[in-house]
Amino acid sequence: MSSSTSTAPPRPSFLNDAGVRAFFYQAAVFVAVTGLLYYLVSNTITNMSQRNMSAGFDFLDVSAGFNIAFTLIPYREGDSYLRVFQVGIANTLLVAVIGIVFATIIGLIVGLARLSTNWLIGTLARWYIEVLRNTPLLLQIIAWYFGVFNLLPRPRESIDWGGLFFLNNRGFYMPGPVPQEGFGWTLAALLVAVLGAVGIVMWSNRRRRATGRIFPGGTAATALIILLPLAVFYASGAPLAWDWPALRGFNFVGGLSVPPAFCALVVALSIYTSCFIAEIVRAGIQSVAHGQTEAARALGVKPSRTMRFIILPQAMRVIIPPLISQYLNLTKNSSLAIAIGFPDLVSVWMNTSLNQSGRAIPIVAMTMAFYCVVSLAVSGLLNLYNRRMQLTER
Amino acid sequence: MAPDHTPAPPLVFTPRPSAPPPPSTVGVMGWLRANLFSSVPNAILTLLGAYILYVFLEAIISWALINAVWDAPNRRACLDAVGRSGACWPGVIAWLPNLIYGLYPKDQVWRIDLGALILVLWALPLFLPRVKSKVAIGLTAVLVYPFLVSYLFLGGEKGWIWMVLVAGSLATFFWVWLTAISEMRTGQGFIPLLVHTLAGPDPVPERARLVRQLAWAALFVTALLIVSRWQLVAVPTRLWGGLFLTMVISGIGITFSLPAGVLLALGRRSSMPLIRGFCVAFIELFRSVPLITILFMFNTMLPLFLPVGVEVDRLLRAIVAVCLFAAAYMAEIVRGGLQAIPKGQYEAAAAMGLGYWQSTTLIILPQALRIMIPAIVGNFIGLFKDTTLVSIIGLFDMLSMARAVGEDTRWLGLFIEPFFFITMIYFVFCFAMSQYSMNLERRLGGGQRR
Repeated sequence: MSSSTSTAPPRPSFLNDAGVRAFFYQAAVFVAVTGLLYYLVSNTITNMSQRNMSAGFDFLDVSAGFNIAFTLIPYREGDSYLRVFQVGIANTLLVAVIGIVFATIIGLIVGLARLSTNWLIGTLARWYIEVLRNTPLLLQIIAWYFGVFNLLPRPRESIDWGGLFFLNNRGFYMPGPVPQEGFGWTLAALLVAVLGAVGIVMWSNRRRRATGRIFPGGTAATALIILLPLAVFYASGAPLAWDWPALRGFNFVGGLSVPPAFCALVVALSIYTSCFIAEIVRAGIQSVAHGQTEAARALGVKPSRTMRFIILPQAMRVIIPPLISQYLNLTKNSSLAIAIGFPDLVSVWMNTSLNQSGRAIPIVAMTMAFYCVVSLAVSGLLNLYNRRMQLTER
Repeated sequence: MAPDHTPAPPLVFTPRPSAPPPPSTVGVMGWLRANLFSSVPNAILTLLGAYILYVFLEAIISWALINAVWDAPNRRACLDAVGRSGACWPGVIAWLPNLIYGLYPKDQVWRIDLGALILVLWALPLFLPRVKSKVAIGLTAVLVYPFLVSYLFLGGEKGWIWMVLVAGSLATFFWVWLTAISEMRTGQGFIPLLVHTLAGPDPVPERARLVRQLAWAALFVTALLIVSRWQLVAVPTRLWGGLFLTMVISGIGITFSLPAGVLLALGRRSSMPLIRGFCVAFIELFRSVPLITILFMFNTMLPLFLPVGVEVDRLLRAIVAVCLFAAAYMAEIVRGGLQAIPKGQYEAAAAMGLGYWQSTTLIILPQALRIMIPAIVGNFIGLFKDTTLVSIIGLFDMLSMARAVGEDTRWLGLFIEPFFFITMIYFVFCFAMSQYSMNLERRLGGGQRR
């Protein structure tokens, strides 16, 4: 009788209660982690007071007093440490952006070559990927630097492309544009053209979805971006001068130039990353079932439109997330610049500035904060994209 | 009268033999047409590819083999003989011991060879078909072998703690091989066999335990006797280098990162907010910064973190950094594997009355690990390649040794050849690992294929 009336299960013993256990586990972990942190921090404070080190950020205003071989933004020897930090970030971002552009182009080509029905091309692409992916990036960077860009001829015998571009063991030289009075109009026209192009593409997409009629939005947008600024440029009297590199004495002056370390870094980073991108592109295209192509053909969609409107949008969903994480990897890998003396963030900030100022803690914290901010921001954007693009299944 | 029914000859369909396929679709010609010359653009691509391949191979082979110099006293002699058109291998040959062993004293190099040999012998039973205790042997290779080998590499004065650890490790090594041999010959483990022969086929438990303990004690005493005879010269870690150092760092990193990554991933998926928070913070921090910044951080800050007067070996700093970094990456891979397990598996395990650890280790992890094999091996390959970064913080790994060749006065400027050589070494290791993982995936995934 009594057993049927007591419906509540017997309470577990105190020790077996999940909530109590969870509380104790967490309390134990919390005590352990805070204890460890306290131990580390107290040791650090003792050590720093003994070595007369300071953890403050007051050194940021002090003049750094060393020269930086290559800077994207203006920098003089007497500038502050804060400026050094900015120079480092600008250089890192420059390498990353240029590397990403080249890596994407090469990766796309190799990825498509890997899928080619031509056996020889597919095999060549496969071995390109296998060899470069299975050797350390640092080794590749150093090999490009010491093995290629350092062995180039001297400025007098530089490799010359049409008198415009020069490559020698001091770096790569190209003509630099110098905007004159009134160039602002061209830039404004470019801005207007880009906005207009975005508008055209959006309008044509909406019309296509609503009515099924196709307007060549892409072509029109490209034409607008090219033609409008060009027209304004010539209408305002072509206000752009070029600064040509020229050989003076033992070296080139004028124009834009990048040092050999930069070339080696960009080449190595883009080639190394292109292997991973190629595999991502291949996987993305292969992930779209062949039935999709057949269905499109059965409906009478032209092959070119099949690729654009049916295969690519579906492949992109698979390609974009790993592609972005490869971009992030490339940005992080650009820190290997330190091995060949290119002044990126890690090299000028975490190495030179740290050794000179001795402020280990703020400098390490700032460097890590920069990389954390970049990757958290990018992965935040990526999560947004994934949420929008996710397949909504039944 | 019935008409004459002479049966008409039966109409039998005899097919004519089918015509042979056109010669252009079979054999070498057919293959060539289908895969290389199916259309005009394809043919042009093929010719272009063949040209690129020819130029590339011709350049490499004539540089590395045909024009190469194999015997010369210094780089000057090489340059005089062939200029830059051929490789100058004598520099690499002269530096070969350093590329492999670093600055490890020449007369002590046998210790590294012995350590590698013991590892091979320790792992060999894992590949023998009739050995049953593979799990135990594999675990001891990971957990016990490091004690023996670290003393072998480090050397120096051993206190009694070291002595016991090393002897225990050596005793386990004896056990591994005795077990392997007895299982191969009789199908029974070494210790059970001993119990069987000494205490009879169905012994009382006390007797069996006594025999087991005596057997272990005998193994241990033998090992202790051997170990106490050893006295190895101390080799400070700053002399370690070359391929040897690369192997040590990546080996420790790989061994540490897998269990640590599993724990972190479980923590990240835990329902306890505090534990989840710590794990997420650790993983995200270590994954969002480049390895080189972590190496720098540990190199400059680890001495600050520890009590005054505690000196931390440079190698140890690098190893700590590499381990934590690899663990964070491994954690994300394991998390991916855990997420791929259908919820029904968790629920079924819970319904069977399995607790958290039981369901995790018996149901979830074995399935998750199988899915993750390619990613885990990919991570190992990445770790192996990333060990080159320790050259930046001043350790003499294979890459710094290769750079040092070109700074040697006899071989001044000899950079390409040593780089080429170590590139091949890295490639062979990484490529072998990736092929092995594909092979493993195929074998373990047998049940999944339809």
